[in-house]
Amino acid sequence: MFKNLHLKVGLFVIAVLALALAFLVYVLHARGFFEQRLHLQLAAASAEGISPGMPLTFSGMPIGQVTSVNLNEAGGIVIKAEVSKSGARWLRTDSSFNLDKPLVGGAKIKISSPDLSSPQLPDNSTVLLLVSDPTQEIPLLIERVKNILANVEHITRQDGELNGTLANAKTITARMSGKYGVLEGVLGSEENARPVVNSLKNLEGLTAKLNEVSAKVDAMLAKTDRWLFAADGVSEQSKQALVQVRAMLADAQGSLKRVDELLKNAVAISADVKDGTQDLAKLRTDIDDSVRKANDLLNDINRMWPFGGDADMKLP
Amino acid sequence: MEFLLNFVERTGAKAVGWWGATFGVLAFLAEVLSTLARPATWNRATLDTIVKQIYFTAVQILHVYLIYVLAISWVIITITLSTARNVGLFDAAAEMIIRVLLLELLPFLTALLIALRSGSAINTEVALMKVNNELDALSHCKVEPMQFEFLPRIAGGVVSVIGLTVLGSVLTLLLAYLAIYGLSATGLSAFSTTISSVFSLPVLFGLAVKCIFFGLAVTTLPMAAGLETPKKLFMVPVSVLRGMMRVFLALVLIEVLSLALKYI
Repeated sequence: MFKNLHLKVGLFVIAVLALALAFLVYVLHARGFFEQRLHLQLAAASAEGISPGMPLTFSGMPIGQVTSVNLNEAGGIVIKAEVSKSGARWLRTDSSFNLDKPLVGGAKIKISSPDLSSPQLPDNSTVLLLVSDPTQEIPLLIERVKNILANVEHITRQDGELNGTLANAKTITARMSGKYGVLEGVLGSEENARPVVNSLKNLEGLTAKLNEVSAKVDAMLAKTDRWLFAADGVSEQSKQALVQVRAMLADAQGSLKRVDELLKNAVAISADVKDGTQDLAKLRTDIDDSVRKANDLLNDINRMWPFGGDADMKLP
Repeated sequence: MEFLLNFVERTGAKAVGWWGATFGVLAFLAEVLSTLARPATWNRATLDTIVKQIYFTAVQILHVYLIYVLAISWVIITITLSTARNVGLFDAAAEMIIRVLLLELLPFLTALLIALRSGSAINTEVALMKVNNELDALSHCKVEPMQFEFLPRIAGGVVSVIGLTVLGSVLTLLLAYLAIYGLSATGLSAFSTTISSVFSLPVLFGLAVKCIFFGLAVTTLPMAAGLETPKKLFMVPVSVLRGMMRVFLALVLIEVLSLALKYI
């Protein structure tokens, strides 16, 4: 019936001892028993709400706790805290320590390090503890809300400014719904609004006349435009002539170059006279051609360019 | 006048009775301790009996105990977490679970379980032995009842309460971690911080002392009650009733005292 009794009891006892020992070591480790700790002194005006064991958190993670809160000889507050070495690397010389007392839940000291490149906080240093307690602000807040409510009450009373303003607004909107609309509302009455409306009517006639004048000016401008810039207009023709002039000048230049070459040939080679005379004949026709072209060009220019006194175009 | 006198007399009788019982228990405890301190006690036979007692008290009910811890821990963890979430105190839930379950509820429930199962059995056994003159016979045969009957049961009880509480606590911690953080190692450091903030060394020491006292209470008190039994068979149930009542009062007293020491 009691098979392996000793084995079972041995297993039980060993399991219990091992677990108890493991738990003890784990708790000691978690409490930082095997770890060096950084000690801090926090300076505060009052120790209210601060108790030993209160956690110090960095970015919401607990990294240490308050170890003792005492009064010193001079009646000042001495708050001592410990931070684990692994947590201490987030503490910088410019870190700020804030006592955070939420309305619900436990109070804690929040540490924030704005600049992680600043030098590390040394051991046993004293830092300032800032206290922000929302519960202390509530009475002030209530006082201010009371004032605001009193003001609102004053403004909205029976014979108050707000009622007067609303009555005025009512009169104005009533006038606005009259014959002359918004104008009547602004000017006060129908009589006042009428001259304005009349002058607006006069203005209408005036603008009609102005429209006519501007139409005429428009037509004039259109004509000028057509004469000057149309497809067969003055401007387009002169542009074409210039292109032709350029082409002819290029031709002339080419011919002169050939003359140059031929003259060289004539001077250097007298043997082949037959060839030379043939070349000369060709040159002559070339030059003739060029001169004719130049002549044509000059004629063209004379025809198109309004230099001559007998221009057959008239302004409109 | 007669009535008042009677009342005072009855109160006096009760007080004397209580004092007698308390004295009996204390004397018995002193005898146990002196037996413990005697080197002659620690022989192979005693150790064998102690091992048997541990087996009967703890190992035999281990699986039942673990299922029972699993159920009660799971229910309490779930309720605590959902309530904490509703009132916006989820951060404090882990600490609350550890404090309520590990420090108070589990040791108390373990002690109650052992008192119900083993304490009552011990009480009946000792009372019957007393009624049947077996104890005298044993003494006559040079088999010290204190060494071979009482001490092993007490040692077994203390070891069982401590052992079962440790196993149940580890199970509850695992359950709490799983309930809060799920199957991931992300919450390990936060959970460690919570555990470390709850289990300071004085708290751990206090917990161990409390478990030892629980173990002593659930074995010593039934034994003392059994030894007090008049040599009449019909007095055995009365003896068990008295013994178990005392065990219950003692457990509550130890729990209240430990809480008072911790928080006041």
